[in-house]
Amino acid sequence: MIRLENVTKTYNKTVKALDDVSFNVKGGEIVGFIGPNGSGKTTTMKLLTGIIKPDKGKIFVNGFNIKEDPIKVKESIGYIADSPDMFLRLKGTEFLQLIGDIYRVPTEDRQTRIESLAEKFGLTKALSSPMMSYSHGMRQKMMVIAALLHKPPVWILDEPMIGLDPKSAFELKQLMREHTKEGNAVFFSTHVLEVAEKLCDRVIIIKNGVILYNGTLEELEKQNKNESLEKIFLELTEK
Amino acid sequence: MKMYLRLVSALIQGVEPSDKEKKRNKIFYIVMTIIAGFGIMLPMTFFVGVILYSLTSSLKDFGTMQNGVELFLHLISAFSFVFGLNVIFSVFYFAGDIENLLPLPLRPYQIIGAKFTAALISESVMEFLVIIAALAGYMIGGGLPVYSWLIAVIGMLTLPILPLVYCGIICLVVMYFTRFVKNKDTVNKITGIFTFAVIVGIVFLISKSGFDTNELIKAMSAPDNAVLAVMNCIFPHIQFLINSMELSSIWQILIYLLINAAAIAVFMLLAQVLYFPGVIGVGQSGASHREGKNVISKMRKHSPSLTYLKKEFSVLFRTPAYFTNCVMINLIWPAFLYLIVVMQGKTNFLESFIYGIHSGNEETVLLFMLGITAASVLVTAVNCIASSAITREGKHFAFIKYIPLSYITQINIKALVSIIISGTGMLIYVIAACIWLNTGIKFTIFCCLLSIFSVSFATYFGIYMDSVNPKLIWDDELNALRGNYNIFFNMAMAIVIEAIICAGSYLLFRFTDIGSITIILILFVLILIMNAVSYLLCNYLATKNIEDLGF
Repeated sequence: MIRLENVTKTYNKTVKALDDVSFNVKGGEIVGFIGPNGSGKTTTMKLLTGIIKPDKGKIFVNGFNIKEDPIKVKESIGYIADSPDMFLRLKGTEFLQLIGDIYRVPTEDRQTRIESLAEKFGLTKALSSPMMSYSHGMRQKMMVIAALLHKPPVWILDEPMIGLDPKSAFELKQLMREHTKEGNAVFFSTHVLEVAEKLCDRVIIIKNGVILYNGTLEELEKQNKNESLEKIFLELTEK
Repeated sequence: MKMYLRLVSALIQGVEPSDKEKKRNKIFYIVMTIIAGFGIMLPMTFFVGVILYSLTSSLKDFGTMQNGVELFLHLISAFSFVFGLNVIFSVFYFAGDIENLLPLPLRPYQIIGAKFTAALISESVMEFLVIIAALAGYMIGGGLPVYSWLIAVIGMLTLPILPLVYCGIICLVVMYFTRFVKNKDTVNKITGIFTFAVIVGIVFLISKSGFDTNELIKAMSAPDNAVLAVMNCIFPHIQFLINSMELSSIWQILIYLLINAAAIAVFMLLAQVLYFPGVIGVGQSGASHREGKNVISKMRKHSPSLTYLKKEFSVLFRTPAYFTNCVMINLIWPAFLYLIVVMQGKTNFLESFIYGIHSGNEETVLLFMLGITAASVLVTAVNCIASSAITREGKHFAFIKYIPLSYITQINIKALVSIIISGTGMLIYVIAACIWLNTGIKFTIFCCLLSIFSVSFATYFGIYMDSVNPKLIWDDELNALRGNYNIFFNMAMAIVIEAIICAGSYLLFRFTDIGSITIILILFVLILIMNAVSYLLCNYLATKNIEDLGF
C-alpha cells in the first residue's frame, strides 16, 4: 500500500536527507520506522504525505502515484504530524468538523466515530473546549482522532505515542492492530524500541538517509545472535 | 549589561524573519527592498521633511517657528502610543517566549527591560525616519547651526521611548488588576478595541471642537498655543528637545534626557512589582470541560470549502493579534476620513467637490473614482488579511499540503475571507459616500463594482506576494505580522501600482483629449485585467510556491 522507489531528497542542495531509498509496506502490515534524530524519518513521512517533493524517485500510496494523483493519495492517508499544536483557537468539535468536512465523512459516520474514538481516548468532555486549553497529550489524542476520522486505508504516524498516557497509547496500539487486521497498512516512526518490538510486523532502520535494515525483528535478532533490539539498534546506527 | 544585550538580540531575532527564510528568495528581498525604499520610505521621508521645512519657514516670521515641529512630534508620539499599546500588551504578556523566559533566573525588570528595548527597536524603524526627516526640515527651515544635528540624532533615537513607556505602564497596571480574569484573550481583545475606541474618540472630539485647518494655522502662529500647552503636559520632553535645538542649550537636552530616564526608572520599578503577579498564569485557560456527547450529535456534514472558510474566519476573529491588526483596523478608516472632512472646515474645497460631483464635472468624477480604487487597494493591503494568509498557517503550514483540497481551492477560500472583510468595509464607505454626495443608483453601483474589483485584485496579489516567501517561523501570532517583510513589501507594491494607475489616468485626462468617462472605463477594464493577472499569478505561481515550500 506504500511504495517508495529510489527516492532521493536533498535540502538546500547540500544536505542529503534521503539517498536512493526504496521500500514498501503491504496491506495488513504494521511497519515501524526507527532511526536516530536527523536520520530522515520525518522527511520520509513528509514525502509520503505530499508535504515535500522528492528530487528523484517515485512514491505510491494505495496504488496512486503522488505526483499524478496527489488528492487521491491524500484521501487515502491518515497522518499524524510530529507536532500536535494545530488550530489551537478552534474548539475540539470545530477541528473535527473541519477534518470531517475536508475528507467528506458522512454525518452519521463522523458522529459514531468521534463518539467512539473520543470515548476511547477520554476526550469526550473536552471536545467543546478550545484546543488551546488542552494539554500536550490531549492535543496529540485529538490529532489521532482527526487522522482516523475518515477511516483511511493507510496510516502514516510520526511519533504517535509521544505525549499519550499509558491507556491512550494502549488504545492506539489496539487500533493499529485492528486496522491492519482489516487489510490496511500502518507505517509509523518511533524512538521507543519496545513499542516497535511489541507492535511491528517489520521494522525499517534508517540512518543518514540510508536504509540500514528492512525486515522482521526475528530475522534481525537471528542475524545478531539474539542480542536485544536496543543493542542491535545502537550497533547498527553507531557504525 | 552583556546579558541584557544578549537577551535583546535574541528577542529581536525572534521577530525578524530567520536567515533561512531570507535566503529562500534573496532576489525577491532585494527587489522588494528597492521598491519599498524608493516607493514608500524615501518619498515619505522627503514629504515630511518638505512639510516641516515649509511650516518652519512660514512660522519663523511670527517668531513661533518651533510650534510646527512640536505639534508634529506630539502627533507622532500620540500615534506611537495608540498603536504601541496593543504591541506592548502582546510582547509583555502573550508572546510565545514568556514560557521560556519565566523559568530563567531573571528579575522582572530585566525581562521587561529587554522586551521593551526589542519592541522599541522593532516598532520604531519607520518612526525614526519620520522623526529625523521632521527635525531635518525644522533645522533647515529655521536655519539652525550644525550642532543641532547631534541633538536631532539623539531625538530620533529617544523620542519613541516615552510613548511606549506609557503603554508599558498601562499594560502592567491593567494586567496586574485583571490577573484573576481567566480568559486573557478577552483582555487582549478588549485592549485592541479600546485602542481603536481611543482613536475614534479623539477624532470625534476634534470634530466637535470645530477645529479646522484655518484655525490650526492661526493657532500655530500664536506664541501661547493652547493645543501645545495641553500636549506638553502629556509629552513634556518634546519642548525641551526643540528648545535645545533652537537655543543650542546643553541644559535643555539634559532635562529632556532626564525626563526620559525618570520615566524609564518609574517603569522599571513598576515592572519589578507588577510584572510577575500579572504574567504568571497568563497561559492558563479558562476552559471548562463540561459538555460532552451532545456536541457530537450536533455535528453535520457541510461542504469542505464552507467549513474551511469558517475556520479562516474563526482564526481571524478569535486570535487577538489578528482581530486587532486585520479586522478592527478596517474600522479606523472612516474615522480618519471624517477627520479629513472636518479639518477642511470652512474652506470651500469640500463644497466645490460636492458641486463637482453633482454637476458631473469630469475632473471631480475621475478623482472620485481614482480615490475609490486607490482606497480599496490600500485598505486591503494595510489590513494584511491577504498578505499574511499563508504566513498565518505558521508551524502547521503542512496542514494545507497534506489535506485533500487543492492549493488553488484553499487560496480562493483565503481570498474570499479577505474580499469579504475588506470588501464589506469598503462597500459601506463607498455607499455612504455616494448617499452623502447624492450620486444616484447607477453611479453608486459602478463605484461599488470598481471598489470590489480593486479589493479582489489587491487580495490575490497579496496572497501571491505572501506565497513567495511566507514567514512561517513565529512564536506568537503578533510575530507573524510584526517584522513580516511580506506585508510591508505588499503595501509598497500596492502603493506603487496604484500610484502609477492613478497618476497615469489623471495625466491622460489632463494632457489628452480623452474624456473622463472613457478614462474611467479604461480604468475599470484595467482593474479587471489586473484581477485576471493576479488570479493567474496565484493559480500558477502561488500554488507552485506552496508546492515547492518544504516545511
